[in-house]
Amino acid sequence: QEFQFGPCQVEGVVLQELWEAFQAMKDIAQAQDNITSVQLLRKEVLQNVSEAESCYLIHALLEFYLNTVFKNYHDKAVEFRILKSFSTLANNFIVIMSKLQPSQEKEMFSIRESARRRFLLFRRAFKQLDREAAVTKAFGEVDILLTWMENFYQL
Amino acid sequence: DGVAALPAPQNLSVQSTNMKHVLTWSPVVVPEEIIHYSVEYQGEYESLYMSHIWIPSSWCSPTQGPECDITDDITATVPYSLRVRATLDSLTSAWSTLKHPFNRNSTVLTPPGMEITKDGFHLIIKLEDLGPQFEFFVAYWKREPGAKEHVKMVRRGGIPVHLETMEPGAAHCVKVRTFVKAIRRHSAFSQTECVKVQGETLPL
Repeated sequence: QEFQFGPCQVEGVVLQELWEAFQAMKDIAQAQDNITSVQLLRKEVLQNVSEAESCYLIHALLEFYLNTVFKNYHDKAVEFRILKSFSTLANNFIVIMSKLQPSQEKEMFSIRESARRRFLLFRRAFKQLDREAAVTKAFGEVDILLTWMENFYQL
Repeated sequence: DGVAALPAPQNLSVQSTNMKHVLTWSPVVVPEEIIHYSVEYQGEYESLYMSHIWIPSSWCSPTQGPECDITDDITATVPYSLRVRATLDSLTSAWSTLKHPFNRNSTVLTPPGMEITKDGFHLIIKLEDLGPQFEFFVAYWKREPGAKEHVKMVRRGGIPVHLETMEPGAAHCVKVRTFVKAIRRHSAFSQTECVKVQGETLPL
C-alpha cells in the first residue's frame, strides 16, 4: 500500500488512517464554512490530472496546506478539541511531503507549468476570500483532496 | 513558603513492541503522598510549524503510574517529542523531555503467534490478532525434497484461514511473519510448524 503520484512513490502512509482522522473532524470543520457557493478544489484544479502532473500538483497543494491552511487553522483545532486528529493529518502530510521528489528536469517544464496553473487556480480562489473564511473552507475540503489522492493509492 | 519544589520525573524512555508504544519514567517519590503525572507529545509538524504547541496524551493527562501507553498518540511515521511532569496538589514539577524523539519505525517486531489445525484434509491457520496495522506473510509447503513453497498474504489476524488441502500421509509445514504497512517493515519468521494428516504436530 503506497501512493504513486506518477514517478513519485510514497510509502509508509496508510490512507485509511488519514480518512479516519479527517472523519473525526469533518462535521465540525465543514459546519464552520458558510460560503457554499465557492469550492476551492474545484473541477478545473483536480480533474484529468495526468500521472506526470500529479507529483507537482500534490507537492504544491500539501506545501500550501501545511504552511498556510493548517498553520492558520490550529487555534480552531484547539478550540474545537480536534487537536489529536488534526495532528495525525498534519504529521502524515509531512511524511508524504518528505517523500515527494518532483523532477526539476527541463523536459518536464510544460508538465510542471500545467500543474502550476492548476495550483494557481486554487490559490487565487483562496485569496479572493476573507482569510479566515478561506482557511476554514480549505480545511473543510480536505475530503476532496483525500478523494483525489485515493486515485493514486495502490493497495 | 518553604515548600520544596517537586522534582521532575527522570529516566524517560519508550519501549515499543509490535506497534504498541509505552513511555516509562522513574517515579517521583514523596512519602505518604500520591503523585500524578501529565504526558504531552509533539509530532514533527508541531515541532516544525508551532513548537510552542504540545498535545496532551490521550490516556495520561493525568495518570498515577510511572508509565503511559502512547500508542494512540503516535499516528504518523515521524519523530515525536514526549514530555512528562509531576503534580502534587498545587505543586507542579518542571517538564522532563525524552532525550531522543521517538519514531514508530523503530518498534520491535516479533514473529507472530499462530495456531495450526486440521479440518479433515484441510490445513487451517489462525494468526495472532495484532491489530489493523499488521498483515501476515504465510509460507507453507509439503515436506518433501524439492517441494514448492506457497505464499499467502493474510490481511487480518484472529480468524481461521484455509491454506490448502493436504495429501494423506505427507507432512505439511508452515511458517509466518508479520508486515506493518505504516512503517514498511516485517518481523522475522516464526518457528516452522508441521502437521501430518493422521499424525500429531511433528517436532522439527
